[in-house]
Amino acid sequence: MAFLQWRRFNFFDKEPVKDPTTDQIFDQLKDYNVSACTSGRGQLIIGDFEGNLYFINRQMELTAFRAYEIRVTHLLQLKQHNLLISIGEDEQGINPLIKVWNLEKMDRGNPACTRLTRAIPGNKPTPVSAFSVHENLNFMAVGFENGVVLLYKGDVTRERHSKSRNVFEGNKRVTGIAFKSQGKDVYLFVVTENATVSINITSKDQMKVLENAGASPGCIVMSDASQDHQLIIGRQDAVYFYQPDERGPCLAFEGTKLQLHWFRGYLIVVGKDSKGVARPPVLGPHGMEMNTVTVYDIQNKFIAYSAPYPEVIDVFCESGSIFIFTGDRKLYQLQEKDTQSKLEMLFKKNNYTLAISLAKSQQLDQDGLIDIFTQYGDHLYSKGDHDGAIDQYIKTIGKLEASYVIRKFLDAQRIHNLTKYLQALHTSQTATEEHTTLLLNCYTKLKDVSKLDEFIMTKNRAVDFDVETAINVCRQSGYCEHALALAEKHKKHEHYLKIQLEDIKDYQRALQYIGKLDFESAESNLKQYGKILMNQVPKPTTELLKRLCTDYRPTDKPLIDQNTLEGKTLIPHHAILISSGIPSRIQKANAEEFIHIFVNNSSKLTEFLEHMIEVQPNSSNLVYNTLLELYLHDMVHEKDITARVERERKTLDLLKNPDANYDIDQALILCQMNNFKAGILYLYEKAHLYQQILRYHMDHFEFVHVIDACKKFGQQDPQLWVQALSYFASREDSCKSQLMETLSNIDKKNLLPPLMVIQILAHNSTATLSVVKDYIVRRLQMENDQITEDERLIKQYREDTDKKRTKIEDLKTSAKVFQASKCNICNLPLEVPSVHFLCEPHSYHQHCFESYSENDMECPVCAPENSKIMDIIRAQEQSRDIHEFFHNQLERAPDGFSVVADYFGRGVFNKVTLITDQHNKSGSASSR
Amino acid sequence: MSYAYLFKYIIIGDTGVGKSCLLLQFTDKRFQPVHDLTIGVEFGARMITIDGKQIKLQIWDTAGQESFRSITRSYYRGAAGALLVYDITRRDTFNHLTTWLEDARQHSNSNMVIMLIGNKSDLEARREVKKEEGEAFAREHGLIFMETSAKTAANVEEAFINTAKEIYQKIQDGVFDINNEANGIKIGPQHSPASQSLNVGGSGGNQGGNCC
Repeated sequence: MAFLQWRRFNFFDKEPVKDPTTDQIFDQLKDYNVSACTSGRGQLIIGDFEGNLYFINRQMELTAFRAYEIRVTHLLQLKQHNLLISIGEDEQGINPLIKVWNLEKMDRGNPACTRLTRAIPGNKPTPVSAFSVHENLNFMAVGFENGVVLLYKGDVTRERHSKSRNVFEGNKRVTGIAFKSQGKDVYLFVVTENATVSINITSKDQMKVLENAGASPGCIVMSDASQDHQLIIGRQDAVYFYQPDERGPCLAFEGTKLQLHWFRGYLIVVGKDSKGVARPPVLGPHGMEMNTVTVYDIQNKFIAYSAPYPEVIDVFCESGSIFIFTGDRKLYQLQEKDTQSKLEMLFKKNNYTLAISLAKSQQLDQDGLIDIFTQYGDHLYSKGDHDGAIDQYIKTIGKLEASYVIRKFLDAQRIHNLTKYLQALHTSQTATEEHTTLLLNCYTKLKDVSKLDEFIMTKNRAVDFDVETAINVCRQSGYCEHALALAEKHKKHEHYLKIQLEDIKDYQRALQYIGKLDFESAESNLKQYGKILMNQVPKPTTELLKRLCTDYRPTDKPLIDQNTLEGKTLIPHHAILISSGIPSRIQKANAEEFIHIFVNNSSKLTEFLEHMIEVQPNSSNLVYNTLLELYLHDMVHEKDITARVERERKTLDLLKNPDANYDIDQALILCQMNNFKAGILYLYEKAHLYQQILRYHMDHFEFVHVIDACKKFGQQDPQLWVQALSYFASREDSCKSQLMETLSNIDKKNLLPPLMVIQILAHNSTATLSVVKDYIVRRLQMENDQITEDERLIKQYREDTDKKRTKIEDLKTSAKVFQASKCNICNLPLEVPSVHFLCEPHSYHQHCFESYSENDMECPVCAPENSKIMDIIRAQEQSRDIHEFFHNQLERAPDGFSVVADYFGRGVFNKVTLITDQHNKSGSASSR
Repeated sequence: MSYAYLFKYIIIGDTGVGKSCLLLQFTDKRFQPVHDLTIGVEFGARMITIDGKQIKLQIWDTAGQESFRSITRSYYRGAAGALLVYDITRRDTFNHLTTWLEDARQHSNSNMVIMLIGNKSDLEARREVKKEEGEAFAREHGLIFMETSAKTAANVEEAFINTAKEIYQKIQDGVFDINNEANGIKIGPQHSPASQSLNVGGSGGNQGGNCC
């Protein structure tokens, strides 16, 4: 059956130690009778039966000194301190002496001995059989042949302050002693030939018997931290591990053990070849018994080295390698192979599992490990174990190119392996879009809906894939529900709606979804998908649009934000409105942007627009225009009379609505196109297009309305009457009464010269003289009156002018007699000196004149009157330069000629410079 | 790593029935298809919670090879629970149960809870031992029975935890003397400071003299 042993490898290179100076095999120890060995801090230390100590350093240089008079029996080199502790004898008899050497301090060429203590338990001297020193230099334990263990407490390097006590008393030789620190406690393991005990020396020497079996000398060693500092004991049947409180595991390595050593996680067992029962003991070259040195890797469970050596004296674990000191006084060095070559050996044997655990225990870097996983994966793949291979490849994720693996498994039969790999890729967050696509394709190909569910639907899972890709792939392969869930979860509104509308065709839900979005998304999505939605579910779509365009709030949000509520309690109301951070502002979309959505659904559009207008009277004109158009359209297509009337009323209401912000021109066109009379007229009126109203009525031969219109709007535009007149005049059919009325109005308002009236009426073949007789007579009479009045005025002005002329003449030629007796200012009798003016004549006292007159040249009494006249003249002069004003006046005046005449009088048509000169002269003349 | 109780288990049964794999699955939650022969005795540990109490399971995995029997036997003593494992695809492993059971009963304390485990339940196609047979054997010998798969981890947790529950129940019922470590039960160090100091005193008394 199976070998009852671990796998065997050869991870160590054996090499005899050579003397570097001579390059010969190192044999300087050949003559010594070795009694004890130890090593540490780079050197090997050997004691002999003559009492000498030999030090061999790394360069294989040997130094020696005599430490004891008789012999050395035990040696211990501390690892953390350069201290050597030896036990030997200086005197005959049984007198073991402990000496502590400080190897750093030299005393006459030899290491300084800092302590010398006699090791005697009680009063019966017995030879020392085992000893150990705690690395903290506070405890030293010595075991004796008679089974007693003596513990020295206190500074190991000094005799003083050191107290010893008896901690154990057995009945057989003590074969091994070891310290172990665990937390605050220090335990002492004592192994005799027939017992294994642990003693807690920090807690009343509490003792626990671990096993009623001991070990022979040398077969006791302490493991290092990798095995939790356990005590290891080799017995015939197995190697046992011990904790201070109980026995631990055991390894059933059979055979007689001579020595146990520990080297960096390896257990070295020197044993007799037990398998050689059938043969006589194997003898070495010098008649020596052969021993087997076996190196076990405890953690990874294999034999790292095994070879026979002649009579092993001791094994040193020093300077990173193992030195085996054999009976022929030769040293062999076992050099551990480097990790890479170890792994290669394992690879050759296809022992990847072991390689992996080995690499891990050797702290190989990540790259190295991944290399192993890859090779292992390749190996398994080539063996056809695809399931196993993929497990290994998964461990390479992150380093090994994923495509390498994917290509290997891109085969329909291995798709589930591929799926597993891709899943792992995703969980490790290293997947690319292509990987996501591939994975989803795998799922769909495998029809593995549950996996797909898990991959996509799992809540609260970190997204480890590209969402868009996933959505697309799901869609393409028909897993719309999954795509949908993904889109919803990751707020890919575009995708969600596309799927909902194009694949699933669940318009209702799509709409609800939009309703839950925030404003911007809702708006843009509605713009995009509104048409489809409107076609399919007009009613809710309209409702949503209404909401969107008035006071939008996602449906899943509370009506009043918690924020706002809290804000309100904290800050006064106006502060909320000002601070922009609080979402109290109302978001609304422009209704006109959605009108196009309602193509083919005018009733809903009407509803929508009506709602908009109602809620928002200041909507844009497009809204009103469209609504108007809809109304008109409805109206025209309405067959039922009563309904039609109702619609007309509604339309007109809209037109008349003062808030309605429609475009008049367009509205007019619409009304005309739809032949909506009331609307047209209203719009004309609104646009002040009275002529058009008139024209409209005329075109429709509605004489009564023509007159009404004239009456109504004659005030604003008198020309209406004239038009009406010419219209009626051109009508052949009898409309005498209208004609009469028009005429009387024209007459009343004096809109046309009679000649024109006659001319217009002359066009009418039916109009008789009787129609105009009264008018003409009256007009003629009026003109006659006018003429006589004018003539009278002319005559009067002429007389005035003549009077003035004679007066000027008088002033120029005849003398003027001043007869005034009173001063015109103070009304007192006039006295010299006095001032006289020609004007009235007026006379003044000089002092009165000086105190009242503004200047010497003017009569104070006439001055105001004169200046008034002068102002008028000046005003006329100024205004005559304002040509625009003149033209304006000319245009507005009923009688243009009189305006021109008036301006002529002001001298508009005179040459500018001349007028001013003449005027000045005449002015001064008149004032004297 | 504080615990209220520590239970010591052993796993026994013929070689190759999957004892080490059961342990690996329970402690590390992984499965190793190629597992080397167990040479000697190994152990694993895991914390579980029963009745709101942290319990540490210390599990000794023994070599099934006949030649190691004398070594493994010495580990029976001081176990509170035992998992007696056979392989449902190999009838001989089932046939050897009686020997194992006798061995276990002989070398352990009488209160030890033994659970019979039919392992490799994932290999249904190669089954040689019916579930009913296992159940019958368990009933006959007063064992708890369960079929497990160390590969798929089916029932593995349950096997270990149910055993622990049984032991815990026995403690509650006062069947086990928890102060005697030979029963395979230890009270946790932190469990009650009073009891610890009492322990120290008690053991001191023990050492001082069995005279009283």
